[in-house]
Amino acid sequence: MWRLCDLRGRIRISPGFCLLTVWFALDNGWELLGTVLGAAALHELGHCLVLRLMGVPIAGLRIGVFGAELAADRRGMSYPGELAAVLAGPGANILCAVLLTLPGGTRWAVFTGANLVLCVFNLLPVRPLDGGRALYLLAAWAAGPAAGERAVRWAGGITALALSAALAFVMARTGGSLWLLPAAAGLLAAGGRELAGRGGDLKYS
Amino acid sequence: MTSRQAGRRISTIAAARRRPGRAGARRAVRRKEDSLSAGERRRLIQLAACVGIFILLVAVKLLLPGRMAQINQFLNGPMEQNVDVRAVFSAVGRAFAGESDVGGAARDVYQAVFHPEVPGEILETAVLGELPESSAMDTLRAYRDAEEPPAETEDGGQTGGEGQASTLAYVLYSDQNLPSNVSLEQAILDFDYRAPLSGALSSNFGYREHPVEGEERFHYGVDLAAETGTEICCFADGTVTAVGESSSYGKYCIVTHQGGYTTLYAHCSRVTASSGTAVQRGQKIAEVGETGMATGPHLHFELQRDGVYLNPIYYVAAV
Repeated sequence: MWRLCDLRGRIRISPGFCLLTVWFALDNGWELLGTVLGAAALHELGHCLVLRLMGVPIAGLRIGVFGAELAADRRGMSYPGELAAVLAGPGANILCAVLLTLPGGTRWAVFTGANLVLCVFNLLPVRPLDGGRALYLLAAWAAGPAAGERAVRWAGGITALALSAALAFVMARTGGSLWLLPAAAGLLAAGGRELAGRGGDLKYS
Repeated sequence: MTSRQAGRRISTIAAARRRPGRAGARRAVRRKEDSLSAGERRRLIQLAACVGIFILLVAVKLLLPGRMAQINQFLNGPMEQNVDVRAVFSAVGRAFAGESDVGGAARDVYQAVFHPEVPGEILETAVLGELPESSAMDTLRAYRDAEEPPAETEDGGQTGGEGQASTLAYVLYSDQNLPSNVSLEQAILDFDYRAPLSGALSSNFGYREHPVEGEERFHYGVDLAAETGTEICCFADGTVTAVGESSSYGKYCIVTHQGGYTTLYAHCSRVTASSGTAVQRGQKIAEVGETGMATGPHLHFELQRDGVYLNPIYYVAAV
């Protein structure tokens, strides 16, 4: 019932995501939806590729309202290995942006921009996002898991709450920008979770 | 799980311990008996909620179109100001390609996120487009400061005073400081026409201090003050080509006449004609109001020929 799109039971798409997708498409057109989904697919492909290169089997892909999440058994991975896998997503987006701008001209400006926005957003040091994971891994690698946990809890919690407060403030002042609402809500939830000490429960994004 | 990994990463281990257990249990439950686990029930509820929202929206749209229109109107403000996602991506992409500097890109992104241009706004910029400052403008301003036109304050007998004002406009505005889409000629209309209503002229065609924004702008029509609800008649025979609402015009309608002429009636409290219908000269098409950017109930009346704004005063005062 839950598995709307069942590719050998490995890809799950949540109904909330479908609803959001339709809303986005109706508001912005299918072309732009394709652009965003293309950039997101590239991002996940980056993760996937590095995980595969390191011989880690990928258990599945879950796509929800706040993004996609690769399920893989990372227990056997080293810190640098996992760091590489985490950074491969944003890396793929940057690579694509560079490749698209190398020939010159701005024919692909929208897709380039979509890749860069996705990359920067994912590098925020808030835990379900790649930036938070990377920060945790770096700190844990350097000073142990407890230090990593502390670093990401405070950095993530404060960044998330500050960003969501800033977004809420600007939205209230301008009275619009509805597309920022899910982002603000997601950040608020993530920040609250971090500061409550439950950020580690989240898996990859 | 081995002891080697045990002290390594709190979160991974916690998650790992939970994950296989839960998944295994779920699978077992599903195979053996047809009852649902807690997680499965939660997802079912999620699915039902999403399907419910979708069905509700479709049902409201089909069964209560009026209510839907109301809701749409309510949502319109925030929706119109919604993020222009494409413009954000485009600005970032162009900055990355080195086409624009970072400051410019940041400005573009801010503009796209918080004040995207919506059709209504574009209309406003097109209509009240700003002009480069020129010395001629200063002369004009000095002249107007020194001699406030009587039409602005007392407009009882409009015809005489307005005749002077429009002649004045003709003399003072050279081609250099006129917006490109404006002509001051008095076109001879080869069809019958009448004034949309008889009201006091509260603002003339031409440069004026914008009553709301405060700066000097070109006023592309005439304002006829009248009480809210006063009947607005159609200027001449034609077809209603647009009925809409914008932030600056409020509720407005546009009628296309023969010979490439169009007239616009803005700030209405209500537009009674519907788009696409044929209208006769003198037929009621709307009622006076103060919707949009207005400081009191009046009709803002514009006349265009092939996209060029003409001074409507010649035809309004003629009645």
